[in-house]
Amino acid sequence: MAVCIAVIAKENYPLYIRSIPTENELKFHYTVHTSLDVVDEKISAMGKALVDQRELYLGLLYPTEDYKVYGYMTNSKVKFVMVVDSSNTALRDNEIRSMFRKLHNSYTDVMCNPFYNPGDCIHSRAFDNMVTSMMMQVC
Amino acid sequence: MSVPDYMQCAEDHQTLLVVVQPVGIVPEENFFRIYKRISSVSQINVRDSQRVLYIRYRHHYPPENNEWGDFQTHRKVVGLITITDCSSAKDWPQTFEKFHVQKEIYGSTLYDSRLFVFGLQGEVAEQPRTDVAFYPSYDECETVEKRIEDFIESLFIVLESKRLDRATDKSGDKIPLLCVPFEKKDFVGLDTESRHYKKRCQGRMRKHVGDLCLQAGMLQDSLVHYHMSVELLRSVNDFLWLGAALEGLCSASVIYHYPGGTGGKSGARRAQGNSLPAEAVNRHRPGAQEVLIDPGALTSNGINADTSAEIGRAKNCLSPEDIIDKYKEAISYYSKYKNAGVIELEACVKAVRVLAIQKRSMEASEFLQNAVYINLRQLSEEEKIQRYSILSELYERIGFYRKSAFFKRVAAMQCVAPSISEPGWRACYKLLLETLPGYSLSLDPKDFSKGTHKGWAAVQMRLLHELVYASRRMGNPALSVRHLSFLLQTMLDFLSDQEKKDVTQSLENYTSKCPGTMEFITLPEGLKLPPVPFTKLPIISLLFNPLPTILDYLLELKKKSDLIGNKFYQVSLGDSNSLSFVCGRFFNIYFQWVQGDVCEVQLMVYNPMPFELRVENMGLLSTGVEFESLPAALSLPAESGLYPVTLVGVPQTTGQITINGYHTSVFGVFSDCILDNLPGIKTNGCTVEVIPALPRLQISTSLPRSAHTLQPSSGDEISTSVSVQLYNGETQQLVIKLENIGTEPLEKLEVTAKTVNSKEKLYGEFLSWKLEDTLSQFPLKPGKIATFTVNIKVKLDFSCQENLLQDLSDDGISVSGLPLSSPFRQIVKPRVESKPINPTESSKVGDFSHVKTLEAILNFKYSGGPGHADGYYRNLSLGLHVEVEPSVFFTHVSTLPATSTRQCHLLLDVFNSTEHELTVSAKKNEDLVLHAGECQR
Repeated sequence: MAVCIAVIAKENYPLYIRSIPTENELKFHYTVHTSLDVVDEKISAMGKALVDQRELYLGLLYPTEDYKVYGYMTNSKVKFVMVVDSSNTALRDNEIRSMFRKLHNSYTDVMCNPFYNPGDCIHSRAFDNMVTSMMMQVC
Repeated sequence: MSVPDYMQCAEDHQTLLVVVQPVGIVPEENFFRIYKRISSVSQINVRDSQRVLYIRYRHHYPPENNEWGDFQTHRKVVGLITITDCSSAKDWPQTFEKFHVQKEIYGSTLYDSRLFVFGLQGEVAEQPRTDVAFYPSYDECETVEKRIEDFIESLFIVLESKRLDRATDKSGDKIPLLCVPFEKKDFVGLDTESRHYKKRCQGRMRKHVGDLCLQAGMLQDSLVHYHMSVELLRSVNDFLWLGAALEGLCSASVIYHYPGGTGGKSGARRAQGNSLPAEAVNRHRPGAQEVLIDPGALTSNGINADTSAEIGRAKNCLSPEDIIDKYKEAISYYSKYKNAGVIELEACVKAVRVLAIQKRSMEASEFLQNAVYINLRQLSEEEKIQRYSILSELYERIGFYRKSAFFKRVAAMQCVAPSISEPGWRACYKLLLETLPGYSLSLDPKDFSKGTHKGWAAVQMRLLHELVYASRRMGNPALSVRHLSFLLQTMLDFLSDQEKKDVTQSLENYTSKCPGTMEFITLPEGLKLPPVPFTKLPIISLLFNPLPTILDYLLELKKKSDLIGNKFYQVSLGDSNSLSFVCGRFFNIYFQWVQGDVCEVQLMVYNPMPFELRVENMGLLSTGVEFESLPAALSLPAESGLYPVTLVGVPQTTGQITINGYHTSVFGVFSDCILDNLPGIKTNGCTVEVIPALPRLQISTSLPRSAHTLQPSSGDEISTSVSVQLYNGETQQLVIKLENIGTEPLEKLEVTAKTVNSKEKLYGEFLSWKLEDTLSQFPLKPGKIATFTVNIKVKLDFSCQENLLQDLSDDGISVSGLPLSSPFRQIVKPRVESKPINPTESSKVGDFSHVKTLEAILNFKYSGGPGHADGYYRNLSLGLHVEVEPSVFFTHVSTLPATSTRQCHLLLDVFNSTEHELTVSAKKNEDLVLHAGECQR
């Protein structure tokens, strides 16, 4: 159902990005890259006081003609961005939320790997499989 | 109405539109000079009142947009100024005719017009006319500004009269229906008497009056009129005009709230002369949205605006939040009409500008998002570019730099779209450069040398590729080489093998035309592109030199007496800072190079590319001393491991030299790599002292070179080592030829010897020489050879060989302290206790491989030339490896009882293992001659 899932580091460079129509990967790179503007804006709008107990889920970042872009940010400022086909109306906010939570858990597992250097690109097979499952789930 | 004006902002609603146009042939440069002067008169304080009139000048305005003038009066061209060049009076009627033609174009809406004639003198020019001004030349027209002011005042008079006219005639006759161009046919045959129709007319007219009030500088009045209009139009569902009324309301409120302006550029100008109180800025007024319509105020307000201003201001002006709501509403009304696309688009742009001021980026982005989807008729390519650039600009204003960069890039791509016959590569390149910050990319490679690459590599790479391509199409190969090198240098980790190949291939293609240099490239826009050195091609990783050796050097050199082999190690000590600190000191203090000598720096390099890398012209960069670097070329196999490279150079003068980098030429790009800038290398160059020239010696000997190298236990560099095989007791002469291969005469020589292998007991003098013979040949001129003879004499103790002793014990003889073998050393008389002896002939043939080795180092310390004067010496060592074999073996020992019981005969079987005859002499001088290979008793 998700067409593209990206993990973006604190310094706004991609740790992981994968999209289903692989032939037009760059387009998704652009989509996700520009969505960071909205993420930044949302974060700065929230203000500092709320940072601690804030909601990690950022909601819909912006819709495009064909896709909807959702965002999520962990407390360590690692961002997850998910691009969803906008024709898929069955997908509710709650489902997106749970998908992000799953992604977060899986990311935590990656971070727990003692051989993983924070800041490196993610090359974990388990994470890969999880992303694949999330992309496949419905469609 | 088809051409959107993307530069519009809310304040434009209060301006009067004046078109300035050339008529006939006017040089563009002159026209714009005048145009600039005219435009400087953009706001006028109308006499006798506090009202301010704002003028918007355009030198180009499509007449079809003018037709929307009734809808929003700021779209109406109310003034026309034409500029013309007229050199002779003959042309004058013609010129004047043209002026009238020009006037016709905007004729329906014009309040007034002016003609500025340049170049005409004489009687025609003397005629006093109000609408024509004559100036002898473009330089002598001081009164232009004054004229414009007069012109604007005349515009104001018309405007004011219209406003009053419209504002008051509502009570009287039928109100004409104002309409926009596409509406005209819709109203044919409509019942003009119906209440509905009348209301609509009223509403529209009210809105029109509002516009006029706004233009005339009566903000409060306009607010009141707009509010009334909104009420009227809402009741009759006249959505298009309702939208316009709402937008008017918004504009007026914006003008009130933000006297600084929302347009950005014009902000400064507006802030100065504004009549509104400064504290009104950003004043939030909750509850201001409640509409107050004071019918009494409407009629009377026309002139004495100030009386009710305070009340009206407080109640009628929209709060900042409401402005946005109303904008939203207006836009949604506009969107109902396909023909009002431009209006909708412009309203979006205006709303975004307001939001940008309010710093509400999220909402602004929604407006922009909407604007993106507004479909206008088929746009020309130029309009598309304009549209994308303005979107980019607006996104930038609300702080969405990535989005802005995205649209700018789209605009850049549009410049060179295949459908355009003349692709504007230059414009494309310029736009692409502007996108760089959005992708957090700078073109300075230094920004990338610190730590790992941080950034969105995929999009950055794409952009760089585009830059390369655009610059190539621009016909600037130097630029594309620079960008391509940058791409290769900074994005190396992200390129796939195939991409690496492609990139280098094209780089080589470009450099064949234009080699890459180390100069800054300055772009016409003033941007400087710093040079890109290939520090990663090949990657330099420094040689590891074990620390103990360094310390040895330190001790050795503290004596300051002698100098070192001229090898110089760069040390990389991985993560240990403390070690690299030690090394830093080491380099600074304890190394010396000799002037005029070839000096070496050893580097470890490796090739990260998946193909063979040719590095040409690789040499050292240094400061301090004049240094002649001898470049080397190397070819590294694909993805090679560490590969040692020795870079050499000759210091030409003495003093301190700092090696701070190296230069290479890879793929035709010359790069100077400064060690400071290399990632992962801690030393920032090494400082070496260069001392005055010294002679150099080369040693050749009469003996074969040894494959066996001595362990330089004390850090001495063994330049050569020789080996010789000797039998015990043998003496051999070693002739050493000392050749002065340097350029300085050799004046002094000292020789010392040191035996390395001291386990063996050595008898006598191992090495002996006579220095005087050699010294007599001094001073040795360059190229001359001196000989030096060393006698090697081996006398070793081969006694106490285990198996022989074993034999003796077997024989039942207790041999104590019996020094066996070792001929030349006289056999001491053994004291053997008398015992019955049973000679057993169980002689084992001795093991002949009792080879012992002796190792020694001959140190030559020499000096000469200027270096000698400073007390420097050069050290040269010759390793000597001597294998010593015993010459005789006692294969069997037995005793025979002698005549006296107190004595016995000792029988020794002696075996000569040499090829020579030898004499064994005992104490009584009985010589026994042994022939080669013989065994005798």
